[in-house]
Amino acid sequence: MSIFGFIYQYMDNFAFLILAAIGLAVIFGMMGIINLAHGEFIMLGAYITTLATMAGIPLFISIALSALLVGIYGFIIDRLIISKLYGRTLDSVVATWGISMIMAQGMLIIFGPSIQGVGTPLGSLSIGGENYSVYRILLFVIAIAVLGVIYWVFMHTKFGLQSRATMQSQEIARSLGVNTNKVYSLTFMLGAAFAGLTGGLYAPTMAVSPSFGNSFLMQSFVTVIVGGSNPLIGTFLSGGVLGFVNSALNMIWGTFYGRLGLLIVAIIVIRLIPLGFSGLVEKKLMRGRDA
Amino acid sequence: MNQLKNSNIFLVLTLLLSLFLAACSSGSSASDGSEEKIKLGVLEDVSGDFSLVGVQKLHGTQLAVEEINENGGLLGKEVEIIAPDTQSDNTRYQEMARKLILDDKVDAIMGAYSSASREAIRPIMEKNEMLYFYNNQYEGGVASKYTFATGAIPEHQIETLVEAMMEEYGSRFYTISADYNFGQISADWFRTIVEERGGEIVNEEFIPLGESQFGSTISRINEAKPDVLVTLLVGQEQSSFYGQWALEGNTDIPMATTVNMVQGYEHLRYEAPALANMYVTATFMEELASENETAKEFVDKFYEKFPDDEYVGMEAEAQYSGVKLWAKAVEQAGTTETDAVIEALESGITYDGPAGPVTIDPATHHAIRDVYLAYSDKEHNITFPRKWEAVEPYWLSTEKGVNLAEKDDFSQYTPID
Amino acid sequence: MNTSKIKLNTENIVGIVMFIGLFVYPLFVSSYQVLNLSYFLSMVFLSMSLALIWGFCGIFSFGQAAFFGIGGYFYAILTMNIGISAFTPVGLIVGVLVGAAIAWVLGYFMFYGGVNDVFVGLITLCLTVVLETFMGQTAGSEWKIGEIGLGGFNGIDGIPTISFGSFMLTGINFYYFILFILLVVYVGLRYLGISKFGYTAIAIRENRERTKLFGYNVPKYQTTIFAIGGGLASLSGILYATWGSYITPSSFGLTAATLPVVLVAAAGRKNITASVIFTIAYYWFSQSLSASGSEYALVILGLGLVLVILFVPEGIVVALFKWIDQLVFSRIRKKPTIKLKEKEKVHGHSIN
Repeated sequence: MSIFGFIYQYMDNFAFLILAAIGLAVIFGMMGIINLAHGEFIMLGAYITTLATMAGIPLFISIALSALLVGIYGFIIDRLIISKLYGRTLDSVVATWGISMIMAQGMLIIFGPSIQGVGTPLGSLSIGGENYSVYRILLFVIAIAVLGVIYWVFMHTKFGLQSRATMQSQEIARSLGVNTNKVYSLTFMLGAAFAGLTGGLYAPTMAVSPSFGNSFLMQSFVTVIVGGSNPLIGTFLSGGVLGFVNSALNMIWGTFYGRLGLLIVAIIVIRLIPLGFSGLVEKKLMRGRDA
Repeated sequence: MNQLKNSNIFLVLTLLLSLFLAACSSGSSASDGSEEKIKLGVLEDVSGDFSLVGVQKLHGTQLAVEEINENGGLLGKEVEIIAPDTQSDNTRYQEMARKLILDDKVDAIMGAYSSASREAIRPIMEKNEMLYFYNNQYEGGVASKYTFATGAIPEHQIETLVEAMMEEYGSRFYTISADYNFGQISADWFRTIVEERGGEIVNEEFIPLGESQFGSTISRINEAKPDVLVTLLVGQEQSSFYGQWALEGNTDIPMATTVNMVQGYEHLRYEAPALANMYVTATFMEELASENETAKEFVDKFYEKFPDDEYVGMEAEAQYSGVKLWAKAVEQAGTTETDAVIEALESGITYDGPAGPVTIDPATHHAIRDVYLAYSDKEHNITFPRKWEAVEPYWLSTEKGVNLAEKDDFSQYTPID
Repeated sequence: MNTSKIKLNTENIVGIVMFIGLFVYPLFVSSYQVLNLSYFLSMVFLSMSLALIWGFCGIFSFGQAAFFGIGGYFYAILTMNIGISAFTPVGLIVGVLVGAAIAWVLGYFMFYGGVNDVFVGLITLCLTVVLETFMGQTAGSEWKIGEIGLGGFNGIDGIPTISFGSFMLTGINFYYFILFILLVVYVGLRYLGISKFGYTAIAIRENRERTKLFGYNVPKYQTTIFAIGGGLASLSGILYATWGSYITPSSFGLTAATLPVVLVAAAGRKNITASVIFTIAYYWFSQSLSASGSEYALVILGLGLVLVILFVPEGIVVALFKWIDQLVFSRIRKKPTIKLKEKEKVHGHSIN
């Protein structure tokens, strides 16, 4: 395989891990909620994009629509269910598990086991006799952009400030006048919107079915576990490292070892640095400040 | 506070109970237990990953049984279908198989899609001496007294496919297959047959079930430059391969398969040219309607009964013909007793199915069938460049000495053991 | 508190009535129903194992499914290789011990390394999925242990039933065998709950730091409880494997890993009786829905779980117990000391 071939594989894996994990990471990192319906949120996004494109809306607008609508859907779910479970992390496991069952089967009942897919746009690029999908290169760019957006939202907006405060200490934030429930709601909505975006982005490259989200589930959990609670630093670093491990193992031994490698790295990381990469980085930063 | 909590408990309990009752009453309406009916148990996935094919097969059964009942039933009795949802879950298959046999006391069972689900229930059938039809394309080799496999097997699909591809394109094959028994054994079949005919397998790759990202696999295939790419991919996630192959793969390489298009109609679900240049050997597919009058009749009947369905695939026909074969054997035996029906089936019984005659081979309990080579072009138009008539399931009897009409057997043989 | 006397409350009465009911159940139903209930009962051990480690000791684990699968596979490989039916009870015991030993090693690795709370959940989740991924790809004929192929996604079938000499545990015998073990384990766990060891475990659940400062070796207790839980889950896996003569990697899957958590949480995790009852009810409920062939089955199941957790957060069975307690026993006896405990919980950490 050529050097560019490997770089391409790496970009592809990196984008997949980042985009799969980001919605989960935001919700887990900021709210401590393990959202087992994450895969179904992605699936919903994929359906919206596919159906909208089939109805004649341009693909990229459909994808934006996915993010928007799944965000709104997330907000509704939060108001109806999740908001009742703030601070009861593990109860939310049961609730989101229930939600995921309802969504997957509901989609099957409404649209049947599969819908017609949209082809991957933008064609391919030929370098040195090898074909590379332009759309997949774009996905890498979008993954980086998504991280940029998260940086901006959490570091440069009032919501970001309040949500970081809430994450550090909900009680103190509340006593300082932050409406923490509102912050949680918006966070959940943001996480859902990112999941919807991911679904929309991958809809043209994969089979769209009620089990669409399952493809992302394992990778997203591993990325979040390795990354730790900070959705920006954690996801970025773990996407980077895991993407490399996965691409290298894929290339040398094949798909199965790529998958196994991800899981084993995750176990080692939790054992050595339970708070994940973001915990490690934050510790270093704190030490720097103290000195 | 306590008052509120108590009312909550009742609210939840009442809701649950009413939901449950609603579901059960809508589902199992016809189990009044009258002795006059003949009961046919069906185990197919109406939900979960395999429902794409499971629903087609369930509908195939319902169509066949409806026709039987309209023509006066079997032995003068009405046939009743009992079809729990196995939810693409192998434990469910076991639970429901036991329920059908021990509780519903059905007369025969049809069903299972994946090889894993078949192997989960086959021992239960054997233990309870239950007549079982596996109407599905599979990796072959099952020799069991109580099992009749009416779908396509390697003799039908792989030998013909390898023959056609070698004549047309060359002898270097690359196989990618789903990493479980079906894929492993089918890949072994390809290796055995290709090497027998003097060809070469340049690489063999097994893809974990549920994998949807194929970047590294595609670049390996491109590098190996085989003459033929064999794809034995299973499930919704794995079918994502084709969209990615169309963009990143060397699409001059023809693809050959025994499972795609004919089961999950990928050529209709994906925008062209994802499945361009793809060959499949099939015992039936919807597009055969343009070639064949009886196929057209079947497809029309199917859509008349199930207007919302999207495709009538190979397994829908296999299941339909399976039910008809069973009905014919019951009529011939004059009873639904298992041993008598098996004897009737072993008499070389034939049913003129939608895509040609389906005959049970007494020695192997598999079917003698016509096989079509289907080809999908850049626009996903399907043509049938070639046909093999009455292909026999010879391997078990000639290579392994199986003769179920003479000697009982309960095992699965594979090409390399 | 007087530990020697059985208190008269709903939980205990229900517990006793339940066992009497289970004991006479086969007299009234078909052999199929008995067989079916033995499947539900074998899954009860899995829920109990989680109720023990999570409910008593506050260890949140997705890994019970892993020990379940390890038990099932170990029993299958061992007994099928040896091939003597008299050996099967030994296989059962060794399988349980192996499950417990692996749990002990994993627990040692985690608790002595300071891994706690939600991270235990995450590490066990990864481990479970690793096992599924690995076992799922063993379909090739090169994957054999002794005589027995691992079978990949198809799993292993033809697993022998447990037999004592020529006495095979099938049908009703198997049912009473499971029921007997269930009774022993249930009583054992209830006793554990009121023993000194059990109180230490509860103290660890409520506040790890404080317990440690009292001089208890917290990781040692955690590891021990985790090992017992692993053994119980393993027992569940073995019973399940003998019930269907069958085990597959999907018993390690993401779904299998989360289901016990969902069941125990919805039932009320601090109560063993609740998880026993709820597990049986859930399996019965979900099987009936599946048998009805209704496509709404999974929607209803999901909706039920959401409703339960939303409206009766302490768990539906526990809430029922409390309600009946109030209704019936508050007049007979003064209210027990539950109030105090609940107040303390408010100050407890959100994740335990």
